[in-house]
Amino acid sequence: MRYSGLRVLTEGLFGNKGWKPAWRDPAPKAQYDAIIIGGGGHGLSTAYYLAKNHGLTNIAVLEKGYLGSGNIGRNTTIVRANYFLQGNSEFYSHSLKLWEGLESELNYNVMHSQRGLINLFHSDGQRDAFVRRGNAMINQGDDAILLDREGVRRHLPYLDFEQTRFPIYGGLLHPRGGTARHDAVAWGYARGADRRGVDLIQNCEVTGIDIENGRVTGVQTTRGAIRAKKVGMVVAGRSSQVAAMAGMRLPIESHVLQAFVTEGLKPVIDHVISFGMGHFYMSQSDKGGLVFGGDLDFYASYAARGNLPIIEHVMEAGMTLMPMIGRAKVLRSWGGIMDMSPDGSPIIDKTPIDGLFVDCGWNYGGFKAVPASGWCMAHLMATGESHPVARRFRLDRFATGHVIDEEGTGSQHNLH
Amino acid sequence: MAELIAKSPGAGLHLPVTRGGATLAEWLPGAITSVAPFAGAGDKVDAALTPLGMGFPAPNGMAQGKTARIVWTGRGQAFLIGAPAPEGLGAVAALTDQSDGWAGLRLAGPAAADVLARLVPLDLDSFAPGTAARSLLGHMALILMRPDPEVWDILVFRSMARTAIHELDTAMVQLAARAAG
Amino acid sequence: MRIPCPLCGTRDRREFTYYGSEDYANRPAADAPAQAWDDHLHNRDNPCGPTRDLWYHDPCGAWVRVHRDTATHAVHGSDLVAERGQA
Ligand SMILES: Cc1cc2nc3c(=O)[nH]c(=O)nc-3n(C[C@H](O)[C@H](O)[C@H](O)COP(=O)(O)OP(=O)(O)OC[C@H]3O[C@@H](n4cnc5c(N)ncnc54)[C@H](O)[C@@H]3O)c2cc1C
Ligand SMILES: [Zn+2]
Repeated sequence: MRYSGLRVLTEGLFGNKGWKPAWRDPAPKAQYDAIIIGGGGHGLSTAYYLAKNHGLTNIAVLEKGYLGSGNIGRNTTIVRANYFLQGNSEFYSHSLKLWEGLESELNYNVMHSQRGLINLFHSDGQRDAFVRRGNAMINQGDDAILLDREGVRRHLPYLDFEQTRFPIYGGLLHPRGGTARHDAVAWGYARGADRRGVDLIQNCEVTGIDIENGRVTGVQTTRGAIRAKKVGMVVAGRSSQVAAMAGMRLPIESHVLQAFVTEGLKPVIDHVISFGMGHFYMSQSDKGGLVFGGDLDFYASYAARGNLPIIEHVMEAGMTLMPMIGRAKVLRSWGGIMDMSPDGSPIIDKTPIDGLFVDCGWNYGGFKAVPASGWCMAHLMATGESHPVARRFRLDRFATGHVIDEEGTGSQHNLH
Repeated sequence: MAELIAKSPGAGLHLPVTRGGATLAEWLPGAITSVAPFAGAGDKVDAALTPLGMGFPAPNGMAQGKTARIVWTGRGQAFLIGAPAPEGLGAVAALTDQSDGWAGLRLAGPAAADVLARLVPLDLDSFAPGTAARSLLGHMALILMRPDPEVWDILVFRSMARTAIHELDTAMVQLAARAAG
Repeated sequence: MRIPCPLCGTRDRREFTYYGSEDYANRPAADAPAQAWDDHLHNRDNPCGPTRDLWYHDPCGAWVRVHRDTATHAVHGSDLVAERGQA
């Protein structure tokens, strides 16, 4: 069923009785050409592009819970292409372009809103770094505008510019940056994949990976064994557990990242604001809630909730930057489990096992990557070759020294 | 040669101040020497400290002699406060003069513990008089000592003196306001 | 979360800085193959459940190996890294 304004109108006139479920609920078949483990954003987009770009439709996505129950439904929805290093730069640029066509591509409203992202800086040295980053973005074909203090004030008059610890010197505006509705992205890809014949199988946990003579032959699941010659592991925070089923030990440590939302307010924050020095960022959702967060809790965790010191730290940073938010009431806080890699950049690669592929290491930035990750993972699984914009996301780059350390913080999983 | 004027870390920072049941004053501890016993020299360090009426303290411990105090400050380290290092100590422990590195504050009175509770992540109810701890004062590194039930001695890095006083005074104001309301 | 420092007693999580898995304490020999260094620095079991990892107790300067659970945040105990293998 295609969605359109006319459809909404006619359904409205006839009691909304004609809507159909957005996807089927099939039982798993005994065999597929390819299996994607994980029904988050990346797993669903991989399935979609396998079907759309490569004509592979006899495939299944296996999800242990319900579609979108993982990080895809827990993130703070920032979409941007403001990376500095080669490897990341071309990949996220490609992703943003896919975002810009996503709603017509999927015939689904993912509420992509390019409201502009402003990264604040607070010293001359930081300004220099942002000038370089802005130039790298422009070289990549994306957009960046350097704002001085008055320029930031024109956009964000309500910030406390005089705070003593981090006085605001300026900001880097990325006009095409913004937000999207997180679970709509999962639902849009799910519906698109389903319509092309992909089986989306929920409540189906993969419990084993079958390997014979160094080749993958299928998976064991809570809904029985399923055979396939190609298997993609796309399970974000659970990557280590699933890879261990294939005898692999990944360069990943799982960490909890918290986020917060206030009660709904009238429109007050038009941009995405990032206050890196204070570990704080914020935007306002279309429902009116102020959506904000900060840094990791910093210790390895699989509990999708965090501890109070980080909550206190995030609130302090927010109040330092924009004291006006002190009046808003926080409604909820939650956490998601991040697959942290030692250089903060992702992995989209083959594994030493034939037919087994891995897509992980998204740290806390994998939402914006959903379109390009699926695009490149599908390319890899279909052709056996890395896609040009993802060819640096190699699994062996830590051993070989070809790391992509965007923040320059060194090889410690929680520092990115 | 220019005559330099010695200033205490709290000079010009408007102490002492009393609010409600707590008084914050500058505390001038005098000489501070870090004492780090050489490996295996624990007994000899105790012997060298005997003339001061104290031994090397256990974790969270402090001892008050007539002229000096010793407080545990970390793994294999204590601060000798208020008197120069006794003879012979330097042969059995690494000694470092830290006198000018720290700012001393004394918070006293029946409400003192409640003020600290707003800034220090310790269970102050079970912080026995005569003990000490290394912890945090807000975001600052802290050495906290409780020589008497209503007296808390505080050491923070000297460069943090103004911030520490500001934080403590803010907590005192808030607590006094709550008591008054 | 409260973490026991073997010296100072049980303290608030904010007094500690996390380093990572105890793999960091098991340094390969200087002439170990590159694979051993890669495992030491990067590759992790990353268990969901009981784990031992390294925390620094900032106030007292002790490196502490903490025995805890990554699924529940329960903390079971700790020992000093400097005294591992002794007594
Ligand atoms: C608080 C927070 C804020 C964030 N903010 C941003 C942001 O602003 N911008 C941004 O770009 N990114 C952000 N992220 C990161 C982003 O959400 C993640 O990087 C991304 O969602 C991870 O990929 P995914 O969607 O595929 O993961 P998930 O949605 O977690 O998908 C993985 C799926 O695998 C399933 N699975 C696991 N094990 C198995 C198994 N054995 N068998 C079957 N299925 C299994 C899980 O149930 C899950 O549904 C944020 C994350 C969090 C938690
Ligand atoms: Zn300690």
